[in-house]
Amino acid sequence: MADVAFLAEFADGHPTRSALELAAGAAELAAAGGEAIGLAYGPGAAEGAAGLGAAGAARVVVLGSAAAPAITVAGPLVEAVRTAAPAAVLAPATPNGRDLAAVLVGSLGLPAFGPVRAVHMEGGAVRCEMSTLQGAMITASLPAPSAPATSGVLVSAGTYVPAEGGSGKAAVSQAPAADSPQARVRVVETAAEAAAIAALEEAEIIVAGGRGVGSEAGFEALNQLAAALGGAVGASRAAADAGWVPYQLQIGQTGKVVKPALYLAVGISGAIQHRVGMQAAEHIVAINRDPDAPIGEFADLFVVGDLFEIVPRLTAEIERRKGT
Amino acid sequence: MKIVVCVKQVPATTAEKRYTSELRLDRAATEAVINPLDEYAVEQALRLKEGSVVDEVVYLSMGPDSASEALRRSLAMGGDGGVLVTDPALAGADEWVTARVLAAALDRLAPEVTLMGMASDDARGSLVPGAVAAIRGVPLLAYGSELRLTDGAAQIRRLNPTGFDILEAPLPVVASVTDQVGEPRYASLKGIMAARRMELTTWSVADLGLDPANLVPLTQVVAADPPPAKPPALVISGLGPEDAATRIADWLAERKLIA
Repeated sequence: MADVAFLAEFADGHPTRSALELAAGAAELAAAGGEAIGLAYGPGAAEGAAGLGAAGAARVVVLGSAAAPAITVAGPLVEAVRTAAPAAVLAPATPNGRDLAAVLVGSLGLPAFGPVRAVHMEGGAVRCEMSTLQGAMITASLPAPSAPATSGVLVSAGTYVPAEGGSGKAAVSQAPAADSPQARVRVVETAAEAAAIAALEEAEIIVAGGRGVGSEAGFEALNQLAAALGGAVGASRAAADAGWVPYQLQIGQTGKVVKPALYLAVGISGAIQHRVGMQAAEHIVAINRDPDAPIGEFADLFVVGDLFEIVPRLTAEIERRKGT
Repeated sequence: MKIVVCVKQVPATTAEKRYTSELRLDRAATEAVINPLDEYAVEQALRLKEGSVVDEVVYLSMGPDSASEALRRSLAMGGDGGVLVTDPALAGADEWVTARVLAAALDRLAPEVTLMGMASDDARGSLVPGAVAAIRGVPLLAYGSELRLTDGAAQIRRLNPTGFDILEAPLPVVASVTDQVGEPRYASLKGIMAARRMELTTWSVADLGLDPANLVPLTQVVAADPPPAKPPALVISGLGPEDAATRIADWLAERKLIA
């Protein structure tokens, strides 16, 4: 009993980072006598399903392998969860993960939690810790006594670390075909604005720029610093709205939520909408001209000064230390 | 064509938040505003009405009596009517209960498009649009940076990892939009006055044909505590850029974040 299922999204033939993180999470939560069950979808899911065994899955149900919007596998997802009856379904707190979790919760009338910062199993059910009211409160929640036995749980990126060096193969089955209104969603046009955009959720170090960076050209200094640190560049909403970086790099309430080891905030004032996207970072360094910027209230190191003068020198200093 | 925009009254970002002894947010004691991200949904709906694709924009909210303020605030921007679902049985509603109640109200309003903001300020699950779509048995088009309506279909522009997709589904749909749809308009004084005079429709749970016994939340909060206080930042100021850069590098090296 107490199996734990997880959504395993594939892209370009491989499991995404979220699939590997959630596989580790499901394996941890199911350790007391249950199994981690992958619910795989996306291009490459059928071929890659067995390989999720190395990440922690005991078995994998393939929901669909088409290059179609994730939401279109909602029908098979609902049927697979109904059949497997796990204690929880872990979903990544991404747009695709939330879409599928929401339809699952609505279709089966399940208790829903998240995005969670920690999950524990208590007597065969989940106990979820969440940061709520924009970080003002940490709450712990349980399914109500009258609730169905399965819970839907949104999990923030970086909550679990993918297993390394695993080698097992998961047992693979195909989900039964099931019709759903969501199968009527289709892509009618697709456009690439950039050849490649770094996946912020995977970065251990993020150098993020805000309004203070001033221009698209200003981000070049941040790119160089990120390269020296082996990290990725992110941005506040102000910088994305100004068109200096693509929206895929936006961090915050309406962008991505990240949890790197180091977050270097450059020219970012630290409004609450930005804070909720990065406050879980292990170390926060801020460079800002304004000594009263709100980011000073939650940074670990706050350097008051001119970013245009400091950033290039910091890049040079890091390169110098690497050289010795 | 009719759009119903769902709007929610939430605690103001700056408001002090208190929990009751039942570990529910004390909404009566907390300064409240319309959920800022819902204003983008209002803006998107009004733009579609101005484009004459849409004839009618109606707002729907669930909450205490004071949630009528979110409806009036939306009506002050534009639109044709407001519906408040309010009932003592709904205090402490979770995502499931909220979605059930909104879906029942939408059954009566029968819009071609139900539109919501991408998230609410007070709970960030973003699960209600999809749950409502599932209960009503209609497609979900979530996280649009733009909503377009054609004859019989809705389209959203949605970010993908390197660009964007246009997703399409036949009407009726539930859609949600992001803060990229365009800045919400300011309400004019005339709009505010007109919204104040407008008659709102109020429905109880019984009016919707729902049994309160089936609206018991499926989740329960068992603890609510402020986050642990963080030690204050180490502040470095008044240094030249060279010294500041060296200090940052030292700090990073001490924490093994650089070699």
